[in-house]
Amino acid sequence: MTKHRNYFAVLAILLVSSFLFAQGAKESSSTNNTITVYAYDAFCGDWGPGPAIVTEFEAKTGIKVNLVSAGDAIEMLIKVQSEKNNPIADVVVGISDDMAAKAYAADLFEAYQSPSLASIPAFLQFDPSHKLLPFDYGNFAFVVDTEKLPSEMFPTSLQALTDPKYKNKVLLIDPRTSSVGLGLLLWTIEVYGEQEYLSWWKAMKQNALTITEGWSSAYGLFTEGEAPLVLSYTTSPVYHVTYEDTTRYQTLLFSEGHSTTIESVGLLSSSKNKEHAKAFIDFLLTDAQLEIATANSMYPVNSTTELPPAFDWAPKPQKNLSLDAATIEKNLDRWLTEWTQVMSK
Amino acid sequence: MKQQDGGQYKGFYKAMPAPGAAVLLLLFLVPLFFTLSTAFLSEEGFTLSRVQQTFTSAYTIRILLFTLYQAALSTLASVVVALPGAYLLANYSFRGKRFIRALTTVPFVIPSILVVLGFVIFFGNNGFLNQFLMKTFSLEKPPIQILYSFKAIILAHTFFNFPIIMNLVSSYWEHMDMHCEMAAWTLGARKGKTFRTITLPRLLPSIISASTLVFLFCYNSFAIILVLGGGPQFTTMEVEIYRLARTSMDSGAAASLSLFSILVTSFLLIWYNKSQKMLARSEAYTTSTKRLDKRPATVAGKVLALLYSLATSLFILGPIASIVVRSFMASTTRSGAESFSFRWYRQLFAIERGTGHMGSALQALTNSLAIATIVALITVPIALTMATAIRKKGFASSSLELFGMLPMTVSSVIIGLGYYIISNRIRGGVSIGYTLVVLAHMVIAIPFVLRTILPEYRKMPLSYAQSSLTLGAGPLRTFFLIEVPLLKGAMITGGMFAFALSMGEINATLTLANSAIVTLPVVMYRLIGSYNFQGACALGSVLILVCSIVFIVSELAKGESNGR
Repeated sequence: MTKHRNYFAVLAILLVSSFLFAQGAKESSSTNNTITVYAYDAFCGDWGPGPAIVTEFEAKTGIKVNLVSAGDAIEMLIKVQSEKNNPIADVVVGISDDMAAKAYAADLFEAYQSPSLASIPAFLQFDPSHKLLPFDYGNFAFVVDTEKLPSEMFPTSLQALTDPKYKNKVLLIDPRTSSVGLGLLLWTIEVYGEQEYLSWWKAMKQNALTITEGWSSAYGLFTEGEAPLVLSYTTSPVYHVTYEDTTRYQTLLFSEGHSTTIESVGLLSSSKNKEHAKAFIDFLLTDAQLEIATANSMYPVNSTTELPPAFDWAPKPQKNLSLDAATIEKNLDRWLTEWTQVMSK
Repeated sequence: MKQQDGGQYKGFYKAMPAPGAAVLLLLFLVPLFFTLSTAFLSEEGFTLSRVQQTFTSAYTIRILLFTLYQAALSTLASVVVALPGAYLLANYSFRGKRFIRALTTVPFVIPSILVVLGFVIFFGNNGFLNQFLMKTFSLEKPPIQILYSFKAIILAHTFFNFPIIMNLVSSYWEHMDMHCEMAAWTLGARKGKTFRTITLPRLLPSIISASTLVFLFCYNSFAIILVLGGGPQFTTMEVEIYRLARTSMDSGAAASLSLFSILVTSFLLIWYNKSQKMLARSEAYTTSTKRLDKRPATVAGKVLALLYSLATSLFILGPIASIVVRSFMASTTRSGAESFSFRWYRQLFAIERGTGHMGSALQALTNSLAIATIVALITVPIALTMATAIRKKGFASSSLELFGMLPMTVSSVIIGLGYYIISNRIRGGVSIGYTLVVLAHMVIAIPFVLRTILPEYRKMPLSYAQSSLTLGAGPLRTFFLIEVPLLKGAMITGGMFAFALSMGEINATLTLANSAIVTLPVVMYRLIGSYNFQGACALGSVLILVCSIVFIVSELAKGESNGR
């Protein structure tokens, strides 16, 4: 009997605590002069663009900003969704274009035709309904170590990269575990289409020294000189120019064009403070552009932004490729499975 | 009647594990319950079909088999490498012994991304070892090409894990008397035979105990397998869970797969518990450390000991030293050549204004030290109280032991989702963040501290406590005056592991503190994320140094408690 009593006690504790967890802490929404902004972690830290932007914005407008570090894009969406009946945030910063389908499905955002959209090129405005507004973007690219590979060997296209002369010279990243790795998978589908992309990967298998779990490992191996080519961003050389004063690492522009990743901001339809929230979005798309670009190592979307000279080493591709969010949402799992099958052989 | 069988103290022994169980329940089991329950939820409500599908899928079984295979092989390799070292540490006294013991915790505290890097910097095609060999013998191609293959996975896992086994087994071995061995020698058995038939079986409890930790480590390994293995042909359960949870965003399927994984590892743990209990009862107990021979007696013995020490030092020191060397490098000229520099250390200790994340490095160091110290100080008594209850026979104590080990069996991705639930529900200021981080680190440390204390505790005859109780001492007095002093060595080792684990932890800290609390690994992670690998190496070197110092100090404290 005593034994059973113990188990009932455990069950009871589980139930009670689950109730506590389900209730959670409830905080009241913002007061009139304060807006709450959810952003991904890297945006909010001392190192990210967040704090500086908030200070500037508060000084300029007198509107207080409560900047909340809310995990990554997926976690932010889950968080906002779980608070639907008791909304806390007014603005969400950092939903990328390939995640957009999730955001549309959850129906959390309200369209906002910001006047700043006029200075943003059309190819970056991936959401025609203007629920998600782009604030920065980047391009995936291969970066070369010029001390390890002679310039006549530099590949000029994705196709050229499959040449056997690059055997064990390329560092790739797993699309199952990394957003950069996923970027390349989508890039190959954008270039070759669903029918052909797997043959590119089959050909690349010999050339990949290793396929790492994340960008950090791949780039670390690259700067250690393990291989002269790495999958990264077009903006990667900027760090080396700014902080190490070296142009040893350079971006390769490919003739097929480059896959684009766009980060966006959205106004929550549940916001009770829309005017101030809109002011913050406008600020992100104008005055904050330089800070965002340098701190995030991305391109500004506003074409009037003047970039520092180090960005000369981050050449912009002639052609920006992208897939629409719905297609990605529908097929991603199948593509990953196909990819895994081909690459495991 | 009740008075005689000591029943009056039942309540005391029952209450002992309560604090530990409460921490595990709130910070681990409840969130886990929520995360895993999604496996049974679909849009229509409760469903079993997803779980059924996962458990019977050929793909899942294949991944499971590979995961088990590589973990078993890695564990075996670690044991083989560790045993001679354990023998040397347990049977001989020599200079530098404490230093070697201190080194053993190092792979533990470095975040796995840095382990991978250190490994590549040393063993890589462009690594120190190959560059040295190529220069010395004027070779065209790197002679050692071991990375990016299945071998590399085993090698890296061994590097990472053999020190744990060496440490745990040697401290058990030290406390084992030599009577049986001496009897065998007297009866004419050769040394080899004596070792095989007598010493090895007697060591088994500690070997199995340490191996379980290592096995679970390798089972849940992630970065090492993908980066050093070379690609998707080496897919483990953890990778697949990550894919489902984070990339495919199918939390139900992820939960279902991790449920499967948890069941498999739990079966292993139950088997392990059984074997452990059986073995422990047969071991005689000695409270004194045997007198150590000064050094190996024969020339051959000396040479072998020296060779082994050199090989393992190179093996373990190589990648660690690589990280330290890198931390003194900075490129300052246009050509990109790197030269010796204190730049990162000047920034770390705020002598120079830090670039980027380096600015928060000093704050991170103090935070890490404070958190790790608190975690070590709280976890040891809590694990000790749990061990007191677990030592008893019976179903309840077996369940408690399994419960205490459970955090190790669950994929870090799934634990991360659990933390996310917590951080969303419990909102508060920085002080609540600190509390949550300390508690989460305790959850991670408890299995390790239990594993160091339990084998020693089980070896201790129940008669000690019984005689004390019979002689009129209460259970508290018995516990503090008899059992605790006897377990001091194991408690110190456990505390060190708790400290080291807390120093190196990152996932829980990031999720629970909403990036309001910076620790050394958090800053390292951010430095790496923003291209500053050398700065991360500098922080890694400080981490290594701190843990080595703490470990040497604790070894000294242990030495004194043994009366040497």
